[in-house]
Amino acid sequence: MYEEPYRWVEAVGNRRQYLDEQFAKGSPVVGVACDQGILLITMSKGTPKLYEIYDRLALGGMGHPADLEKLRFTLLEMAHVEGFNRSASDVTGGRLVKYGVAPVVKQAFEEVFKAPFIVKIMLAELRQKAGKDGFLTINYDGVFEEKSLYAVLAATSSIEQRMTEYLRKQSISSLKEAVDIAIRTWAVGDRAQRQADEAKGDHEDAMENSDQPAADAQTLLAHVHQCMIDRSIECVLLDRQVAGTSKYRTLGTDELRALLPKDLSSAVT
Amino acid sequence: MQGDFYQLLKEQGYVLGIPGQSGVGQALITATTILAFKYRDGVLVAGDRRATAGNMVMYDRTDKVLEIDRQSVMAIAGVPATAYEMARVLEHSFKYYRRTQLQELSFEGKLRALSKLLKENVPAALAGTGAVAPIFAGYDAEQEAAKIYFYDILGAEFEGAEYAVSGSGSPTIRGILHYLNTWGEQPLSTMTEEQATVQALRLLTSAAEFDSATGGVNREAGLYPVVKLITSDGVRTMADPHLQSLFESNVSKGM
Repeated sequence: MYEEPYRWVEAVGNRRQYLDEQFAKGSPVVGVACDQGILLITMSKGTPKLYEIYDRLALGGMGHPADLEKLRFTLLEMAHVEGFNRSASDVTGGRLVKYGVAPVVKQAFEEVFKAPFIVKIMLAELRQKAGKDGFLTINYDGVFEEKSLYAVLAATSSIEQRMTEYLRKQSISSLKEAVDIAIRTWAVGDRAQRQADEAKGDHEDAMENSDQPAADAQTLLAHVHQCMIDRSIECVLLDRQVAGTSKYRTLGTDELRALLPKDLSSAVT
Repeated sequence: MQGDFYQLLKEQGYVLGIPGQSGVGQALITATTILAFKYRDGVLVAGDRRATAGNMVMYDRTDKVLEIDRQSVMAIAGVPATAYEMARVLEHSFKYYRRTQLQELSFEGKLRALSKLLKENVPAALAGTGAVAPIFAGYDAEQEAAKIYFYDILGAEFEGAEYAVSGSGSPTIRGILHYLNTWGEQPLSTMTEEQATVQALRLLTSAAEFDSATGGVNREAGLYPVVKLITSDGVRTMADPHLQSLFESNVSKGM
């Protein structure tokens, strides 16, 4: 039945709708570049969402943990084999995404008899020179985008736009500023997702497309504080200052306490 | 097996070294001197910098003490091509394991990984085209201690309780190490970082005195041995200016 073009288009459309629903309650991911490197932040309930891929590459994802694991392993295998056979400099985010993962995700999405990847991913790449750092994001349908300075993942593209709009208005240079702004941007996304989820049905479009101004910093931090009851802040850094080839490191509890805004640092456990 | 990078490479057709042919064995080329011993804060690993081919000095700036990851070091004696390739496989294997399994490979696991590579390399080692007899030292996080292991070319692994040596200059300094550790002013394991470094420089200078394939210190060219220190904080390389000052104040004086 899917041999007919119309049926196939319909099936893909249904799949898109199904997938959109899967991300509604996911935790957004925020990546921002700062003087010290690239920071990735999210909030999670135990299962990590941020990972090391290669010396200068970090992965952030939202969606089904098993699918994220599959793509993470694909990326790890490709990166390490390439890094061994050629060199670490030849392992670039662009090559991994464009010729590796994105085609696989797209194929899975369009093969309507098979299960799609319920996942959106972000690959952060620390380059040799500050200011040249980059991000690549891949949607569940295999569409990828390259970005510099910052990137986000959220349930829908309109929420991602709202988060990006919030980030655009900020100026980030130090790591402390990066942590502060990234966690607030996460709150912008999470609040928007919750509002959209609650307003499901009649007002969905109205909520998503509403042009309401972003909440003030106090409200956003209060939202994060509230979320910290059952989730914890996950934060990693591709640190330009780390000695050796591997630049990835997780920000520990003490460091996070020192970097987070006062209202939140006391809640870090 | 999850997290096994070497297996992944083999599945893609990778073969370590050149397959050897039986019956064409040659004298083993291990022209070098590498050493490791325990001192107060951890383990010191050092190596000379000369690479030779027969009577010819090929290169005087070789780094034979290779940092495999933040906690471990492999010092190489033997055929450089195979040794560097093994170090490269190990470096990627440890990284790959850490990144896939989200935890560090255990120290025992690291030792076993090197042993496996040496075993795979036996045909080339016996044919004389790829013999490697390395020293592996690292910080064992579980045991909270820095440790030294040395290997024969077939992959057998031995723990150096106090010290280990390898390479053509090793017979000279093995005796000195035994003497120093047993009847010296103080056991090696109680020496400070500075005292241990002075001993390492003296030992390598002694090896160079009796072994033409070991490069000593070349002050005119500013060439000093590679000295790495492994402690609970990880691996650190002793800077050349520091080595120079220790050499001039404690080694060259007696020469």
